[in-house]
Amino acid sequence: MKTFLKVLVGLLIFGLSISVAQTPEPVYGGSVNIAITAEPPGWDPTVSTSQEIARVMYHNVYEGLVRFKENGEIVPALAESWEVSDDALSWTFKIREGIKFHDGSDLTLEDIVAKFNRAKDPDSGHVHTKYFTAIETIEAGEGNTVTFTLNKPSSSLLFNLARPDSIIYPAALQESQASTPIGTGPFMFDEYIEGSEVRLIKNPDYYMAGVPYLDAVNFKIMPDPDTRFAALQSGDINLIGTSLPPEQFLQLDSLAGLKGTSGSATTEITVGMNESRAPFNNKLVRQAITYAIDKEAIVNGAMFGLGTVIGSHMSPSEPYYIDLSQQYSYNPEKARELLAEAGYPDGFTIKFELPEPYNIERRSGQVVAQQLAEVGITVDLSVVDWGTWINRIYLGHDYDMTIIGHSEPKDIGVYGNPDYYFQYNNPAVTALLDAVELELVPENQTAIYQAVAKILANDAVNVWLFSPPYLVAVSDNLYGFWQNQPTPSIDATEIYQVQ
Amino acid sequence: MFTYISRRLITSVITIFLAAILVFSALLAIPGDPAEIILGINANPKALVALHEQLGLDVAPVPRFTNWVMGAVQGDFGESLKYRKPVRGLITDRLRVSLPLAFGSVLLACLIALPLGIFAAVKKGTIFDPIVVIFSQVGAAVPSFWLALMLILFFSVKNHWLPAGGFTPWERDPSAYLRSLILPILALALGQTAVMTRMTRAAMLEVLNKDYIRTAKAKGLSSRIVLWTHALHNALVTIITILGISLTNILIGSIVIEQVFALPGLGRLALTAMGTRDYPLLQAEVMFYASAIVFLSFLVDMSYGFLDPRIRYT
Repeated sequence: MKTFLKVLVGLLIFGLSISVAQTPEPVYGGSVNIAITAEPPGWDPTVSTSQEIARVMYHNVYEGLVRFKENGEIVPALAESWEVSDDALSWTFKIREGIKFHDGSDLTLEDIVAKFNRAKDPDSGHVHTKYFTAIETIEAGEGNTVTFTLNKPSSSLLFNLARPDSIIYPAALQESQASTPIGTGPFMFDEYIEGSEVRLIKNPDYYMAGVPYLDAVNFKIMPDPDTRFAALQSGDINLIGTSLPPEQFLQLDSLAGLKGTSGSATTEITVGMNESRAPFNNKLVRQAITYAIDKEAIVNGAMFGLGTVIGSHMSPSEPYYIDLSQQYSYNPEKARELLAEAGYPDGFTIKFELPEPYNIERRSGQVVAQQLAEVGITVDLSVVDWGTWINRIYLGHDYDMTIIGHSEPKDIGVYGNPDYYFQYNNPAVTALLDAVELELVPENQTAIYQAVAKILANDAVNVWLFSPPYLVAVSDNLYGFWQNQPTPSIDATEIYQVQ
Repeated sequence: MFTYISRRLITSVITIFLAAILVFSALLAIPGDPAEIILGINANPKALVALHEQLGLDVAPVPRFTNWVMGAVQGDFGESLKYRKPVRGLITDRLRVSLPLAFGSVLLACLIALPLGIFAAVKKGTIFDPIVVIFSQVGAAVPSFWLALMLILFFSVKNHWLPAGGFTPWERDPSAYLRSLILPILALALGQTAVMTRMTRAAMLEVLNKDYIRTAKAKGLSSRIVLWTHALHNALVTIITILGISLTNILIGSIVIEQVFALPGLGRLALTAMGTRDYPLLQAEVMFYASAIVFLSFLVDMSYGFLDPRIRYT
């Protein structure tokens, strides 16, 4: 079965690489329909962390000083260039001249200054203010520049400035952004049919020459995965770029008029253990649990082979990735020995709670429960709704074991927070994570991140099962869409449709 | 008659109020905090506190509830926590999806079920009767969400006749509006059609066996007059009762159907409100459903008096 799946996946990838090789010339005009899964609570990514907002708005409507490219590279957006002082405490961004917001007003330096003053103020209601704590001041300067003065060097600054919450809109119109977004991007917000679809239209004055190709993009809200897939097959939808189940992806090859791509994402499917309570406060138990889980079998069984087994909190798409998947690799005998050594020769009973909205987590969790049972751990399995998960498990830390996909890019830093939901507290890790913020040489950063990853793997903090690929299903006449997901976004800038 | 109506009115108001209390207590009992859900994971604690104040969640539960009730009595159902918009506007906005869906389904169910049920009753003893009975058994047994997927597979995926899901407002494109409602109406109506057919058949059979029908036949009335004036008139009380129950079922069933067909109706709004612990919205929704159901049963009860002069209200 395993070999069969590998061959199947291999054939798929081979088939895909052929279709990629025959990319036709871009065509202008037309509109496409893209499925999203839930109604976002408004459209302003600076007041809500809903990923649906970023999927629709990031670099379509809203832009920041810099942005992620499809391959994760950070490139200029509103800023055309930047300079860093030798002590790395002063970052000066040169802003493009003549940029207009979608309402016709000019982008001013004051808009940018106001934005980051708001972003770093913990009382402002801006999300993720922790990303901006290194910013001491931001000032407008000569020659259309803004300068960030930092209170300490920050190797993540540029990365954080590329995130979906670092976008710029008219400072005076902050209140109305949730309902009528005004950005600078290649598409303008046209209309929202409450609960049904949001329509973006081409920005004719976009500063980058030649793009976008499409006249309009409609994001249609479709909560049910089967309906989304049916809508793709019937032609009502042209692209599904979020939450595509692997079994649907594998069907694409046999469906006329459709194609699929499998790229990289930054998600780690993680079995989180509550280190503040027994038995998980015992490293031997955590190691035993890691040994007891056959990750390969989960990828094959729950994901039809689509996914890369990992061994620490890093996905292969990250630049500092190190493969630790072989640490404590599947060995049920060893797991039983370690459990006995930890004082649990007859195992124990734990509660394992799966988050209701997440299909991949739920199905993986079921296999995990079965595998743990085989080494004598009795698992009381239940599914909890999202509100309960956030409230009791994530913030209340009242749980034994859970499973969740950590999809944020570069999020290994959560292990430096002893109050995070898995309650891991290791001063050595915290010190390394502090040090990497001050480290400006990329090679040294990589070395530190890898050192952290090794400590985490060695401590068996959690069981990192696998990194699922970013799966897209599209009409076969659609090109230019993102095949990787460095950040949640369905960037339509370069999408075009040939007839 | 007057005392009956006022008594019904009072019990209706109490029922609706109890429904609101029930929802409010249920939302208090289950874990989950609207502000936490809105801000998502990685929210900073200060923002959480600020949002709590903004949403009025820092007020203790009992005053929060009484404030809400005082507002609701005056027609102000508060503001949705998720959408930050007045609840009333949200609900009326979604009604333009849910009302046509519900009434379309009931209408379709009546159009098929009544003739079919009467036909089966009249044709008892022939091959038609068991055919109708089998149809209604199967129809009642098929879950609507499964039927919905089968309809999508046939009409959308295979033949591209109708959209698989989504909604276009009437003012934007009337034909797309109608097309987006056809499959959901079919999916919702079929189960109810089956039940109504069976009940209509049973009601008609019962009446057709009555002495007065035999008398009417004996005095030489044509079978058409016997059927349409004597029999149907007497069966109507049962049929109207079933109609009321069907409308209620359709309202409830639309929650699932709206989810499957990606329709932005009241049902999906209720699910979202539940998921985000949006208590003003959810309470208003439950009160709306409760009022609709109470009102329907009131209408049904009142209609008895008109249909059957022997029924008197005291």
